[in-house]
Amino acid sequence: MNAHTPLQFGKKIGMGQAVTRTEDAQFITGAGRYTDDVKRDNALHAAVLRSPYAHAKFTIGDLDVARGMAGVHLVMTASDIEGHPGITCQAVQQQIDGTKHPVKDIPLLCADTVRHVGDAVAFVVAESIAQAQEAAEAIEVDYEMLDPAIDTEGALADDAPPVYEDRPNNIAFETEHGNSDKTAEIFANAPKVTELKLINNRLVCNYMEMRGCVAEWSDEEDRYTLTVGSQGVHGMRDAITPCLKVDKAQLRVITPDVGGGFGTKVFAYREYPLALLAAKALGRPVKWRCDRSEHFVADAHGRDNVVTMRMAMDENGRFLALDVDLIAAMGAYLHQFAPYIPTLGTTIATGVYDIPACRFHIRGVYTHTTPTDAYRGAGRPEAIYALERLVDQCARDMSMKPDEIRRLNAIPDSAFPYKTVFGRTYDTGEVTAHMDQCMKVADWDGFDTRAEESRKSGKLRGIGMSTYIEACAFAGSEPAKLELKDDGTVQLLIGTQSNGQGHKTAYAQFVAEALDLDMGSIEVRQGDTDELESGGGTGGSRSIPLGGVSVQRGSQALAEMIKEAAAEKLEASVGDLELSEGSVRIVGTDRKLTFADVAAATSETLKATGEFKQAEATYPNGTHICEVEVDEATGETQVVKYTIVDDFGATVNPILLAGQVHGGVVQSIGQCIMEETVYDDDGQLISASFMDYRMPRAEDIPDFHFETRNVPSTTNALGIKGAGEAGTIGATPCVMNAIVDAVYRSHGIEHVDMPVTPQSMWQLMSQAAKKAA
Amino acid sequence: MDKVAINLTVNGRNRQALVPPRMLLSDFIRHELELPGTHVGCEHGVCGSCNVLVDGKAVRSCLMFAVQTDGARIGTIEGMGADGSLHPIQEAFWEEHGLQCGFCTPGMLVAATELLAEKPDPSEEEIREAISGNLCRCTGYEFIIKAIRSAAQKLREGNGAAQTESA
Repeated sequence: MNAHTPLQFGKKIGMGQAVTRTEDAQFITGAGRYTDDVKRDNALHAAVLRSPYAHAKFTIGDLDVARGMAGVHLVMTASDIEGHPGITCQAVQQQIDGTKHPVKDIPLLCADTVRHVGDAVAFVVAESIAQAQEAAEAIEVDYEMLDPAIDTEGALADDAPPVYEDRPNNIAFETEHGNSDKTAEIFANAPKVTELKLINNRLVCNYMEMRGCVAEWSDEEDRYTLTVGSQGVHGMRDAITPCLKVDKAQLRVITPDVGGGFGTKVFAYREYPLALLAAKALGRPVKWRCDRSEHFVADAHGRDNVVTMRMAMDENGRFLALDVDLIAAMGAYLHQFAPYIPTLGTTIATGVYDIPACRFHIRGVYTHTTPTDAYRGAGRPEAIYALERLVDQCARDMSMKPDEIRRLNAIPDSAFPYKTVFGRTYDTGEVTAHMDQCMKVADWDGFDTRAEESRKSGKLRGIGMSTYIEACAFAGSEPAKLELKDDGTVQLLIGTQSNGQGHKTAYAQFVAEALDLDMGSIEVRQGDTDELESGGGTGGSRSIPLGGVSVQRGSQALAEMIKEAAAEKLEASVGDLELSEGSVRIVGTDRKLTFADVAAATSETLKATGEFKQAEATYPNGTHICEVEVDEATGETQVVKYTIVDDFGATVNPILLAGQVHGGVVQSIGQCIMEETVYDDDGQLISASFMDYRMPRAEDIPDFHFETRNVPSTTNALGIKGAGEAGTIGATPCVMNAIVDAVYRSHGIEHVDMPVTPQSMWQLMSQAAKKAA
Repeated sequence: MDKVAINLTVNGRNRQALVPPRMLLSDFIRHELELPGTHVGCEHGVCGSCNVLVDGKAVRSCLMFAVQTDGARIGTIEGMGADGSLHPIQEAFWEEHGLQCGFCTPGMLVAATELLAEKPDPSEEEIREAISGNLCRCTGYEFIIKAIRSAAQKLREGNGAAQTESA
């Protein structure tokens, strides 16, 4: 074995162990291969001509100049691809009046109107990227600028410019969930009502690997091949084939290594079908790669809600009913899952609290901005952010402590399984127990001493908590196909897609345990529609809870098959056989067959499929507590202490789990104090680079204390609750509650919106000081 | 414009090339030298994914022209470690889960190499500062910092026999 072998090779591996990752050897040696590393002889390069305006009518003038430029092979505009449908929304909702809302698809290329900065006007293919870009710039476009609707809430105004003439007040859809009548009735008689209005700021995903694709056409095979960073090749294929007007068999999708996805790489984007159409037209591979500023305008954004909430309480602070009015920006088109995102938030709108009535009203609104869609958590961080901020506001209004009001209203342990107003059934949870544990570990009671210390250096210290729950790993399945190879190794095919999570390691742990096989003898394959006919992809924290159980079951089935095949050869009964270190042995003897011997002895390859079908979602929950320091002189906010106690049901690999939680929390810290997507009134995205959009860096981030307090799920066969998004869901309200706590103590400030930049914080404090004076 | 002849050392090997004056060092490394382990994350010098060592200093290869490296010693991720064995910094990233998607990793390893060459026993604050020019969207940084601290210890304890040209 060389040094590129994981450190635990040769040891017994199983679920729950802190196994280091099998995928790392390639990544730490520069041998990872991402989409832009995929080379094709003879490849051409593409560039997209994008709209510089948020809203304009346009006509395209002479194309001969661009077409005649050196190296240019193709200049494609809407008229060249007439009849090819755009990318359509797959998440149409039923509205209050029972109707399904109309869908505004994303055209592959705009025909006569652009609706956001970055909208696509032409697709140019040339020998080099530089030539394609130069030709794109040479295309004459005559724009007639129109007023845009940019502000999420403002777009609803009667005089707001319409994104579509047939959508009055820019309403894309309007839905209502929960028990409205009961909620209204309770509010009418409620002794106490607390109201809070918040903005959930728009975010840009900013995976480190930008999108790109390699598109190919084969005359012999009569089909396309697309190599693309995705979160699942099958969903990608199914979203693109309608645009190409071909059936599924005519598009192979391959996904190599992926440099981060976070939900946003689930989706088909217009550049993929355009590159494929170009590849067919030109008979050569076409490569397209996004640059970072293009990413800012062309990839789906996250969040962007305006939410108004009211909580009805009795005189003691007991929650009676919750009313939520949510405006969710859709951007210029309905992106693939977009209407589903705010809707998904309703599934956990009442959080960990026993609230008997809730109305959740949603208006999706078109604006002349980049479309929004799933971004880590997808609707659930938004819902929990709103709720947990409201809960803290309720506590302030009732002169209660944050833990006190939570203790009073939390779903009691004895009430699990708990059915919510929205019809979800939380299977297990012990809310006050993880809150108590987190408060203890975080030394909640010692806060005053630390605040005193901070004060000495001119810092306002605050402490905040969130007790969150989320729904993930939704009902469904993810089959796992296992095969014993001739050399005695085992191959697993599964339709999820790692974007960095470490699936190969986690899945291999299940295989290794069931077959007592070395991790190095297990090959996990994802990301090719030719190898596996269907798959659900990675998203909604589903891969390990659903895929993991399937892998375990498939591995156990394969173990039985190996024993049965060996039994014949060894002339022993199956019951006398055991698997040990890649061999089948008669217990208590040295008579054995290696897996390779078994493979050679069977006429047909041994193959097993495991499929675990889960009937309900899993509900991870937990408590986050953090402390912040606000510099009174500069307004700068720093998160200085962070504690997490999570209930993930059961832990597959504690290292990978901690990595998921840390990453999620940091994305939230970014949203809370840095990441600001700024459109000006004309709809220009003025924060379209890393120099303008501040990303969290190592010096912005504290160390974390993370521990689990697991209560196994009863809907998942291994007790696992999904964990990929939980960090993001728990953290946003936690950080903001701490920030509000800091400035409420010092200045009486209760209303703080994200992101809390030094500028916005300084203004808040100055205004409060003026008011006081 | 005419191409320019350059002569440089890349991962210990002498290389000669004719490059257009406007060619970025990152493009030269990825496409001409065919070393795709150097990743391009922003092309405006802010993310650090494309960090390489130029004469021992961590440099953003998207902000430098290939012609500027005439006579220089370049170290990329492919040159880290020796004789098929991992460099202690690479080992530490593996052991401490200092990476997830792996895209920022080569640039992080380069930043860590530069830091540990200058400061064999950096404080946590110094580590944070040293990698604050490198963006990572996956890990939340804690395990990267832990990895660099562990690598520092390995190197101090002399486990770092496998030093490289790039280090």
